[in-house]
Amino acid sequence: MSSHTPQLFSIVPGSTAPIYRQLVDQVRRLVAGGQLAPGAALPSVREVALQLAVNPMTVSKAYGLLELEGVLERRRGVGMLVADRPVGMGGASGAGERLALLRPTLERAAREARELELDPDTVLSLFNTILKESP
Amino acid sequence: MTALPIQMRGVARRFGSKTVLDGLDWEVGPGQVVGLLGRNGAGKSTLMECLLGLREIDGGSITLFGESPAALSDATRARIGYVPQKSELFDWMTPLQMLAYFKALYPRWNDGKVESLMDRWGFDIVMRNKPIRRLSGGEQQRLSIIRALAHDPELLVLDEPVSALDPAGRRDFLTELIDGVIERGTTVVFSTHILTDLERVALDVAFLKDGRIVLEGDLDDLLDGAAHHVAPGARTPSNLEDLFIEVTR
Repeated sequence: MSSHTPQLFSIVPGSTAPIYRQLVDQVRRLVAGGQLAPGAALPSVREVALQLAVNPMTVSKAYGLLELEGVLERRRGVGMLVADRPVGMGGASGAGERLALLRPTLERAAREARELELDPDTVLSLFNTILKESP
Repeated sequence: MTALPIQMRGVARRFGSKTVLDGLDWEVGPGQVVGLLGRNGAGKSTLMECLLGLREIDGGSITLFGESPAALSDATRARIGYVPQKSELFDWMTPLQMLAYFKALYPRWNDGKVESLMDRWGFDIVMRNKPIRRLSGGEQQRLSIIRALAHDPELLVLDEPVSALDPAGRRDFLTELIDGVIERGTTVVFSTHILTDLERVALDVAFLKDGRIVLEGDLDDLLDGAAHHVAPGARTPSNLEDLFIEVTR
């Protein structure tokens, strides 16, 4: 039943964001960006826990929060699905919200840039280059 | 009400004039997965050894599932698994002999699990019949973990269980911990200096310093809290490593 890539999520232990929060942010981004369409099934808690080598309770916690937010829906006998109309994730009008999802990552990058004493223009031109690179 | 897996009250332990545990209070509830953190020499191994009745205490009281570790019933002993930091015991035996010896001591022994772990963790026919002292540090540690998991314990105490393992071995261990141990609701207490591994599996952490548990709590809450309560002008923390340095300084 899994139509997604084998490794949907990735986590970085040792960062300032706890693992559950990294998972929540990633699901929000994937849903906002359309990689996870409404009705798409998420891998089971156990699958994610084993793939990432993290405690299953941590994955449950992330899924539970996303369900509360209305991003995911628990469907009996099926598991977790992307909600039909995920809250706050609608089309072009959601551009502002999608941008907001990028903010934590950019804040982190900005902090590191300051720590490295790089000037803003240099950093921005690097970011521009990266944006234009094909994935 | 069933007794807690671990309850420690005012536990003291001295070595000569050095006080290692100084009126330590600590409780671990059923199904908790707790990382025990502390600097080198903080007394993590001593705490674990006292907990399991391997060392006497100079004061206070300890119970494991309601019983004193010094006088554990066979039934309660069978509910506990322990991986010591380093074990030279039984090192003249081969892995097969050692496992057969332990199997005879326990009422329950999961042969299927032992066989599958031996198989997955590289114990081929040659290695199974080699004296344990001639195995590498990592191989000995893997064997020690297999022995501790073999009787499906309800409480698992792990003292630096991955210190001799390479990254692939550590990942195999974490996977087994997640799938074969945590999934069964086992209570787990483990110490490690590899904080990224700890963050993956521990839901709670406890910091040992100056002979006491100075901070304990839900790891996510501690990390969220640390990020949100930064003194103005302070370096913006805070991951687990920052927290460790801050708390144990």
